[in-house]
Amino acid sequence: MKLNVIKQRRLWWTISGLAILAGLVAMAISWQQIGTPLRPGLDFAGGTRLQLTRDCSVPDNCSEPIDLAVVRQVLAEQGLESSSLQVIGEDRQTLAVRTINLETEVRSQLQSSLENALGQFDPNSIQIDSVGPVIGQQLFASGLLALVVSFAGIIVYLSLRFEFDYAVFAIIALFHDVLITAGVFAALGLVLGVEIDSLFIVALLTIVGFSVNDTVVIYDRVRESIKLQPSEHIDKLVDDSVNQTLARSINTSLTTTLPLLAILLFGGQTLKYFALALIIGFVSGAYSSIFVASTMLAFWRERTGRAYATQADAEPLPGTVEDTP
Amino acid sequence: MARQRLLLAVIFALAIAAVLVIVQIPTRLGLDLRGGSQLTLQVQTTDKVREITPEALDAVKRVVEGRVNGLGVSEALVQELGSDQLLVQLPDINDPEQAERVLGGTAQLEFRAQRPGTEQQIVVENQVLQGHLQELAALQQTQSRGLPDSDAVSELEQLQAAIATSEAAIADLFEPPQLTGEALTNAQAGLPPSGSIWQVEIQFDREGGERFADLTRSIAGTGRGLGIFLDNRLISSPTVDVQYAETGIAGGGAVISGNFDAASAQDLAIQLRGGALPVPVEIVENRTVGPTLGRDSIQSSLYAGIGGLVLVLIFMAVYYRLPGILADLSLVIYALLTWAAFNLLGVTLTLPGIAGFILSIGMAVDANVLIFERTREELRSGKTLYRSVEAGFYRAFSSILDSNVTTLIACGALFWLGAGLVRGFALTLAIGVAISMFTALTCSRTFLLFSLSLPQFRKPELFCPGLKQAPKY
Repeated sequence: MKLNVIKQRRLWWTISGLAILAGLVAMAISWQQIGTPLRPGLDFAGGTRLQLTRDCSVPDNCSEPIDLAVVRQVLAEQGLESSSLQVIGEDRQTLAVRTINLETEVRSQLQSSLENALGQFDPNSIQIDSVGPVIGQQLFASGLLALVVSFAGIIVYLSLRFEFDYAVFAIIALFHDVLITAGVFAALGLVLGVEIDSLFIVALLTIVGFSVNDTVVIYDRVRESIKLQPSEHIDKLVDDSVNQTLARSINTSLTTTLPLLAILLFGGQTLKYFALALIIGFVSGAYSSIFVASTMLAFWRERTGRAYATQADAEPLPGTVEDTP
Repeated sequence: MARQRLLLAVIFALAIAAVLVIVQIPTRLGLDLRGGSQLTLQVQTTDKVREITPEALDAVKRVVEGRVNGLGVSEALVQELGSDQLLVQLPDINDPEQAERVLGGTAQLEFRAQRPGTEQQIVVENQVLQGHLQELAALQQTQSRGLPDSDAVSELEQLQAAIATSEAAIADLFEPPQLTGEALTNAQAGLPPSGSIWQVEIQFDREGGERFADLTRSIAGTGRGLGIFLDNRLISSPTVDVQYAETGIAGGGAVISGNFDAASAQDLAIQLRGGALPVPVEIVENRTVGPTLGRDSIQSSLYAGIGGLVLVLIFMAVYYRLPGILADLSLVIYALLTWAAFNLLGVTLTLPGIAGFILSIGMAVDANVLIFERTREELRSGKTLYRSVEAGFYRAFSSILDSNVTTLIACGALFWLGAGLVRGFALTLAIGVAISMFTALTCSRTFLLFSLSLPQFRKPELFCPGLKQAPKY
């Protein structure tokens, strides 16, 4: 198999552009409907999430699934009608309630009224997540800051190891991956009500770290090829480099995605969407390294008259338009 | 090949050492896996305390630590978070609401006079309390090794109850409070100008100074103590010298001297300052996970991780043949070394941490894939087997280095700027990346070069199936 990445670069760019555009549209719709581009979870919006499981060692406690109508009534009595409810687990014995941020007393009262209505809960399997609005904003701000700092760190490192234009296109590829992942989650938020939490920020940062790997490996090969064949046109060098590293790109994406698939399918509830975000990001990262970062680099070098390394050395004037052979 | 044999011996010694470490030192599990509560407390400013200084935060931290000790949880942790927050971790807690009630209140510092006729009782009660506290310390010591069983938990609860009873009995030996911490303006540990024994100087506001004089006059020279209570717990009970029987300690200031060294004097001063700060603490974050819920998520994540790892191992062996199998061996060593490193460095393993570990396996494979792809290329270009393997490692190195450094940059950003769970993920991923560089460049290489020294493995088709021309070795 030989990919002709340069020749069809407009096609690759269009695909990427459309995917990003779709994501941006999803974010815009989400902005209109809920006021944020992605549906913020407890970590960012603040609130209280209670997860309670009935104690099935108590006789007759678990004979029926949890009745949401009963739960709604209890919540209404406490003035918490706007809370979201979910019954989870195969036996429908676990209740998850998401409310506004509750004080300790209010929360324990809610817990005991639920216990009265539904039967005894198992204290060993309780889960409480309560996050104040200020903390949520802090988590979000520190996450965004981490993202910006790692972008800056990667630009500096790549500029030192390669050249500045390599670094710029690597960062464009990173934005591509982050935007696509965020876009998919914006859509999931609209369709399935999937929320993003601090693990989502972690996922984005990991995507940044991993997908730049793919780009670096291809760049590394491009740099090597330029050194070995300085009189060859950049388009051909990039094409060859991508193809020479293609098996590696595919295999690595496969080996990192396999464990993630395992987590997505068999891991706990907490890590499910984390794994999904990583899978989307890694696949998009592999794509952007092969089809976006490298083709853009070639395009840029061509436009700035550096299509040939030897010629560029002799005539280092930027902005000279190269007469394409 | 002597060098290869030596390296081989070193690698297997490391692997055995790793197994020993894993067996000997238990893995520290995060609260999301073992169950427990993690609370973030926000220290709030008031009209009186307009700014939370580092000293004030430190003082509040001491108050909170005192309360956490009162809860009797083993391996509890109180950390400063930013400039005005405290992070409290309470493993194995079975009553999160009690913890929240106890931790969320404003500190109560009280000065109380000892009741007449209780001089003997206080000695006895104090001995009882000290006995309980020692037992508690011993119990917490043994419990910090591994998960406690239900017997130990009930023993702990009984001890806590006994301590609470003792403390209440001691508090009963004192009059109701006549002076509270709000009147205290400062408390400072220091050395007197001439002397080597540490003391604690305290300072009251004007009205507080007058009350303090009254209070000290009533007990001066009687041998009964001045009870200083923080959150209803006696932290110091100095006696007042007979020379103050006429006027009490006037002037608004006093010196508590006794058997202090630098540490214990600082300790008391910080406790006094913390109690004197009338700052409320609010619980702004609470994450509680029940112990069985945590166990379930460990199990499913472990299964997923092992499942993912096995798939990767199979893929490598099928696709890359002999090098793939050798890479699998170094991947297993990678997993052992990384796990041992977690235990040695005391990394607290959280759920995202496990995810970071599993991901780093993917990363560790990447280096091997890069090398083997390169080796195949060199073979196809007609080089000898030995040269191809060498060139594979040599040529792939810069890619491996660059790609790992960029991942480490992202880890660094996560670690410095993230909090809690996020940091755990960054740390485990970074350790994994660092160790994977070692196993890919050293273990895989040594295994490959060693296998090349054995004639039965010196076949190019074991490295690159379908190779057109048969290169000579």
